[in-house]
Amino acid sequence: MTIREVRRRQIEEDEKAAFHKHVCPPTHGGPPPDPVAPTVTLARNLLVTIKHPLPDGSTVPMWVIEDPDDPVGGQVFPSPTIRVREGDVVHVRVGSRVNTHTIHWHGIEPTPMNDGVGKHSFEVTGNFTYQWLAAQSGTYFYHCHKNTTLHFEMGLYGLLLIDPPQGKGFVAGFNPPDHIIPYDVEGILVVDEIDSRWHFELENNHDAFMQKCDPEDPVNPAHFTQNGFLNDFRPDIFVINGVARVDDDTPIMDPGVAINAKVGQTILLRLLHSGYTIQRYTIGIDAEAIAFDGRPFGVPPFGKYSRPFIIAAGEPFILTVARRIELIIRPTKPGVFPVVVEFQHDITRRRLAFARTVINVI
Amino acid sequence: MNRRDFLKYAAVGAAAITIDGCIPQSMRQQPTHHSHRLSTLTLNISEALVEMVDGTAVYMWLFENPAKGPRFPGPTISAQERDTVTLSVTNTLDEDHSFIIPGVVDSGPLTPGESKMLTFTAPAAGTYLYFDSLNAPVNRNLGLHGAMVILPHDLSTNPYTDPTPAVRDLFNDLGNSAHFPGEPWIPERSTVWLFSSVDPKFNQMAMVGNAIDPEKFINGYLPRYFTINGESGAFASHNHKTVPSGRIGQPHLIRIVNADVNVHSPHIHGNHVYVTAINGQSREDAHMVDTYSVFPMDRVDWLLPFMRPPDIPGDPNVPLRELIRNEMGMVLGGVPQAPLAYPMHGHDELSQTAAGGNYPQGMVTHWEITGDLDGVDFPSGH
Repeated sequence: MTIREVRRRQIEEDEKAAFHKHVCPPTHGGPPPDPVAPTVTLARNLLVTIKHPLPDGSTVPMWVIEDPDDPVGGQVFPSPTIRVREGDVVHVRVGSRVNTHTIHWHGIEPTPMNDGVGKHSFEVTGNFTYQWLAAQSGTYFYHCHKNTTLHFEMGLYGLLLIDPPQGKGFVAGFNPPDHIIPYDVEGILVVDEIDSRWHFELENNHDAFMQKCDPEDPVNPAHFTQNGFLNDFRPDIFVINGVARVDDDTPIMDPGVAINAKVGQTILLRLLHSGYTIQRYTIGIDAEAIAFDGRPFGVPPFGKYSRPFIIAAGEPFILTVARRIELIIRPTKPGVFPVVVEFQHDITRRRLAFARTVINVI
Repeated sequence: MNRRDFLKYAAVGAAAITIDGCIPQSMRQQPTHHSHRLSTLTLNISEALVEMVDGTAVYMWLFENPAKGPRFPGPTISAQERDTVTLSVTNTLDEDHSFIIPGVVDSGPLTPGESKMLTFTAPAAGTYLYFDSLNAPVNRNLGLHGAMVILPHDLSTNPYTDPTPAVRDLFNDLGNSAHFPGEPWIPERSTVWLFSSVDPKFNQMAMVGNAIDPEKFINGYLPRYFTINGESGAFASHNHKTVPSGRIGQPHLIRIVNADVNVHSPHIHGNHVYVTAINGQSREDAHMVDTYSVFPMDRVDWLLPFMRPPDIPGDPNVPLRELIRNEMGMVLGGVPQAPLAYPMHGHDELSQTAAGGNYPQGMVTHWEITGDLDGVDFPSGH
């Protein structure tokens, strides 16, 4: 008996442009289409390839988004942090120096042309100035949204922090009546994994395994590549804030990773999952979760349908890709409290590795 | 529609069990009174060669509505709480299969050629997954799955019968508070996003009749296609049944159903969403997120508020059609910039691939804002 076929790839003539744009966005540059006077102006360039150091003295190639205004820390992995204040109108002049790129401001919700997704707008050629309002303080990030599977893995991302109007040292959270929580120490853990095969084999191939562009026949099967491996992620390097761990048991004590505080101080800990595995966190000290994804719990009006919750010392919790959580920790005794990330395979849930650091309280 | 009109209209809503699709128009058209409507639906467990996004034909097992022919995934079953649903399920294949909705109905193994009538009372309002639980997760993964949507017995502006205070308050505030101007939620504004993936090497084994060991399956599974409602990439992004569409102030319920063996991390642009229910339970805390974890077999409901995107600078009292007039007048790549389209995609970016690349032809779709809060649609492009 013949097996019936389900054919479902026919498209209408008037759908061709949208189907073509889905895989082959147009390019564009210039000022924002509806400009508003900025309160903050920044610059970012894509991309720079760096040789990122590993603990054994070797390096792995990473692509990073450059801050051309910072001659010292402008070319690092993760890409340089953007920090603005709630209420700022932000302009970021983004330069595509090699190929075309975009920047998506993850968690920021501007117009589609300022959202940095090619298939709903364009890819940047030359320079484009993205414009957005920092409406709600919190923990965000930014990343290139072109061939994202590859470009995000290669390092084209950085943290984006919005401080409340009171500035650094304060965070929005459930605390009536003004819902601002002061903190003394800020800890940031951006946790990622690297599949070095992708980095060494695709270092010079920004458009690796992309579909061929054909505006007249955008869904032609012959235009699809068939030899890609971007569905096959096998990480062998595990990093926190770019610093690679040595092994499962050795905490990363780099000053840019480990957190130091005193008894009686308040720690704000911001976590970002910037890899592709399942990350299971365990923190050796009680923490209070106050926000996901730049939306503080219990803070009216939009947060009124939730409340902060306690994560007890040693109680594991899972983050999947691109999620952020903000935690308040108030140490009451001195000690070295472990922070452990277990990386799990996204299908088998098999343990792949541990990365560790500490909260050191004196 | 204002709230009073809506309630009037909801009062004449009718119970109707449907297979295949969205919340039925029949709920508008048929006046109703009875509380327990009876209906029989037919599902055949069958096979077909299904085209993937790159044209590759993949052998799949499917729950098929014989009146419509084979489709991947199985048709969405829609009913109202307390309805009596009768399903006639027939296994037309050469090995045992089953139909199960955990906690609701379980056919047990159906031998080749066997038919069974399954009768059950529609469970608590919410989002469900039906599937073949035999040789788990192999039979489910090879295509035997679909979604079931149950609405409350009394169609209302809340999708749950006995929600938690937080979820009740959230739905009460929609269209009824300073921070959620516009309209309340209505049952028609619901969309299922069913996630699946395909590793054709196992489908090929099934086609030639080879047994598939579930442990070898899980350890050897390397998905090559990722789908929403059975479609990938540009196709999933241009299917009006998958793309929520409306004006600012027309909130929408997204019902995510993960039939996949992967953990997914869907990310939505343009608005944060509220997580209102997981696996049928409304949440004690309705967290607002832009990305969320969806584990295999999870059903996660998102309330997409259709707010004015909060990070557009400028006077919030000026309608968007005026504030961003230049952008809305632009046509880029032959596509007008109005309506405003924002993607939703797996941020587990492996899910954005097809055949190992071809970004973004994987698990991606979008939602679109078609007009302002005052009811005026955006000008269509030039």
